[in-house]
Amino acid sequence: MGAVDLSIDGLVIYYILLIIPLGLMLWLHIPMIGKTLVSIVRMTLQLAFVGLYLQVVFKINSPWLNSLWLVVMVGVADFSIIRGCGLRLARFAGPLFGALVAGTALPLLFFVGPLLKRPNLMDAQYVIPIGGMILGNCLRADIIGIRNFYESLKKGEKAFILSLAQGARLKEAILPYLRDACEAALMPTVATIATIGLVALPGMMTGVILGGANPVTAIKYQIAIMIAIFTGTAITVVLGILMTIRSSFTPYGVLDVASFSK
Amino acid sequence: MKQTNEITRATASANTQQSRKDTPCIEMEDVTVRFDGKTVLEKFSLMVDRGEKVVLTGPSGRGKSTVLRSILGFVVPESGTIRVLGEPLSSGAIWRLRTLIGYVPQEPDLGSGSVRDWLERPFSYRANKELKKNLAKLPEMFHQFLLPLDLLEKDVETLSGGEKQRVTIVSALLLQRPILLLDEPTSALDEASRKRLTEFLSLSSDLTVLMVSHEPELLRAADRKIKLS
Repeated sequence: MGAVDLSIDGLVIYYILLIIPLGLMLWLHIPMIGKTLVSIVRMTLQLAFVGLYLQVVFKINSPWLNSLWLVVMVGVADFSIIRGCGLRLARFAGPLFGALVAGTALPLLFFVGPLLKRPNLMDAQYVIPIGGMILGNCLRADIIGIRNFYESLKKGEKAFILSLAQGARLKEAILPYLRDACEAALMPTVATIATIGLVALPGMMTGVILGGANPVTAIKYQIAIMIAIFTGTAITVVLGILMTIRSSFTPYGVLDVASFSK
Repeated sequence: MKQTNEITRATASANTQQSRKDTPCIEMEDVTVRFDGKTVLEKFSLMVDRGEKVVLTGPSGRGKSTVLRSILGFVVPESGTIRVLGEPLSSGAIWRLRTLIGYVPQEPDLGSGSVRDWLERPFSYRANKELKKNLAKLPEMFHQFLLPLDLLEKDVETLSGGEKQRVTIVSALLLQRPILLLDEPTSALDEASRKRLTEFLSLSSDLTVLMVSHEPELLRAADRKIKLS
């Protein structure tokens, strides 16, 4: 038993529901109608493209093609984080890419390998949706963590400088800021873990149930994906910050303003 | 022959010690600093000897604080040389040289947490771990600078400007640095606290102090005044 397919006509008609939020925005004069319309068009086009592409990827199911798709996903996440944090692309793209690869690959390979025991570690059916879920959460956590780290450093620059003057090495001086940034980045995931199943049925579980599996299987998948997401976000946030440090401080330990886009 | 070698070594060691004693604590030679095309210091030179108390004065915007910040490597000069105890300032040496300098900035920002935590934090740094025993001098230091001991449990964010300045001075002294850089250290202090600081500096003959100040008492107590104009 698989999920029932949606007809194109039915889906087009379903778009009519959007009249309600758009109407509310208009009524309340919320100045984001244009932005919302652009987002809906983008979502439709992006998903249509991805759907067509994934059909091909799933059909061929080549480990190389699947890996390439993951690399593209990591690249897009990398670009979005740098843009979201106001950092310079040329300086940070490489180090952040490394952090994202490490944070995504480790929980993903443990999921598909030792847990699911798939003979093909790069099986499209598992690697692409699970990788996407881990990466999507890493992206959100990284933006929160890296932004928080650099913003609190800029805001508390005097206190940071004073700790350097008191004899702190760079790693010792950034430690309080790193700690706060990681807490801010991981807090939403910890809160989700604590309330999962009570507040909402999570996406992974819903997908597995819609796919025809029984709810107990869906719960096991959900527990595993939450562990994978939490592990992945923790790795990418800490590595993401640590790997950008070399590019964002002068050799004298002072925050380099040239690291940030204007 | 062995005896001669020992004598030579002893003489060399005595000479090195003598030359270290003679080496100025701080030397700045033709230092030029520019920010966004604006010249803040141009070919500025300065020499502060061991134990000397030197005050930098002059109108605001003339680079007095920049002098202190360049000695700590927080501002990198476009040209010129800075030496601390004879060692040129470089990105490699700065981390060690900072452990020879105590710094009290103008309007210090102490971040967050209790005063006690803030004062103890520097001793968790690798460079200061051996100095942790100095924390035993805290009550004495607080008394010296007219700070009540119950202040230790207060949040640093609730301190007045004067209290922050005195707590920062206490921290710099507990870290036992031979050189002190003080940026307007009395700007938020009352008369009694100002007097205590002046007395303390005058009595600390081994301490080398370079400070920015317009305070008449500090100017009187100083060995030398340098006006930046």
